[in-house]
Amino acid sequence: MSVSQKTLPVSGADTPQPGYRVLWIEDHELAARCVPGMFFELKADRRDQDNRLYKPISVYQVREGRIAFMVKEVGDGSKALCLLQPGDGVRLIGPLGNAFPLLNVQNILLVSGGVGYPPLSFLKSCLPSASRVIHLHGGASAKDVFPCDIVCTEDGSAGSKGRVTDLVPSVIADNRIQLVYSCGPQPMLKALARMVEGIPHFVSLEAYMACGIGVCYGCSVPVGNEFKRVCKDGPVFNAADIAWEKL
Amino acid sequence: MSSSKSKLGKLDFDPPVTVASGTFGTEYFDFFDQRWLGAYVCKTVTFEPKAGNPVPRLYETEAGLLNAIGLQNPGLKGFIGDELPRLRDLLQIPLIVSFSGSTPTEFCQMLECLEKQPGIAGYEVNVSCPNVEKEGLPFGIDPDVVFNLTRELSKLTDKELTVKLSPNVSSIEQVAQAAEAGGATSLALINTLWGMAVDWRTGKSRIGRKVCGYSGMGVKPVALALTYKAAQAVKLPILAMGGIHTWRDALEFFYAGASVVAVGTAMFSNSQAVVELVQGLNGYLEERNLRLKDIIGKVS
Repeated sequence: MSVSQKTLPVSGADTPQPGYRVLWIEDHELAARCVPGMFFELKADRRDQDNRLYKPISVYQVREGRIAFMVKEVGDGSKALCLLQPGDGVRLIGPLGNAFPLLNVQNILLVSGGVGYPPLSFLKSCLPSASRVIHLHGGASAKDVFPCDIVCTEDGSAGSKGRVTDLVPSVIADNRIQLVYSCGPQPMLKALARMVEGIPHFVSLEAYMACGIGVCYGCSVPVGNEFKRVCKDGPVFNAADIAWEKL
Repeated sequence: MSSSKSKLGKLDFDPPVTVASGTFGTEYFDFFDQRWLGAYVCKTVTFEPKAGNPVPRLYETEAGLLNAIGLQNPGLKGFIGDELPRLRDLLQIPLIVSFSGSTPTEFCQMLECLEKQPGIAGYEVNVSCPNVEKEGLPFGIDPDVVFNLTRELSKLTDKELTVKLSPNVSSIEQVAQAAEAGGATSLALINTLWGMAVDWRTGKSRIGRKVCGYSGMGVKPVALALTYKAAQAVKLPILAMGGIHTWRDALEFFYAGASVVAVGTAMFSNSQAVVELVQGLNGYLEERNLRLKDIIGKVS
């Protein structure tokens, strides 16, 4: 399937938390191609972004021909995206990347940190209804928290105080977890990968990208003895394959 | 596209635009027709496969991009077995193979091997990648080494032989002249400048390798000056690159002495950069009733 490049109007936007923006676009053909794990390269359709790189942003929701992205304001490019209003243009390339493999198991744990939330939220909506799914989400503070099953924050301003990984061992033991999906900051993913060793674990990695389409090898991550591209070979990897010590 | 047609040594370029090695792949042909390019330059191939450099490998600066990819590639065998047949099937434009060895002998072995393969129109000899320990750099900065290497390579092929030069030298003229004397049929410049970025909050380098390659918008004035200097120093045609985003940028390089230009980092921010460049260039020439050759090297 070829990758599309388009400029589309923002069809809807809201601010779920300060510093985050949800942007909707409408495109039935693109929406039909989105599966959980995929991302788009996005940038605001503004002159000051002409010579800036696109930002890789995961698909957050897909509904009736519309696609939502959740953007966290980090630098200039994401800030320009967060300022977009309905009717403003967004340039996009996608859908890109692979997908979370769907396994038919009973007890599934989703672990997200910060802006790792959106792809897992989309995944949750597509998991088999017969499965029991627990979504554990952590953030720095209450401003980084979104709807899920168990919340924790580093400053204790929402849910339990601490890192999201602090809660993982007890959740796994109490719920006989058979499969883990995760997305978030690398230190969190690294710690999580160690904790859930032995349980199938698929992780969606974030990476700095230039091309986003597999050309430049800038986003590569160590997998076994080689480097694989997050944009094209990922972003979803089997956590057991990643050489975490080299990340 | 005829008003802007050009030549790079033995190769006709119509349009006079190609891509910078390592910044382009056939994936981009999802976004535009390949005939907007005068030729295709592949990512540099090395003799042995290369895993590439530790991460992180990229950082976008205020004006341009830092990278330390480290020539990640499947090696000559992998290239000939997988990539070259794929390119041969797909390309309707000339293929220029960029390659780099870790010794002069290795460069020669690689060229001998590539010469046996059909579907290659020319070679870019990469003696200038700043991101590898062995390949390239010791060759690209020493005029004597460039001369000897080019002399040996030019005996092995009748095809276009362009030598890709580093900007990180004290005299681009001497290196350019050495390549010309050795038998290169054109020059390609510039490869990336040395670059670096540090996270001031933590003191940590933004790039795993610390010192890396700098390309994109910020390098354009440097690339332009080196294109001009090289063009003054040799008779060889020049394939110029370094921060070219628009047709206006390209015109500056043609006036400075480039026969053909390449787009690199600009592709990452605008995948239509090549199309817009060719359209703008043709518009400029037609409006003034000029041919490209009327302006090459005519900076005043």
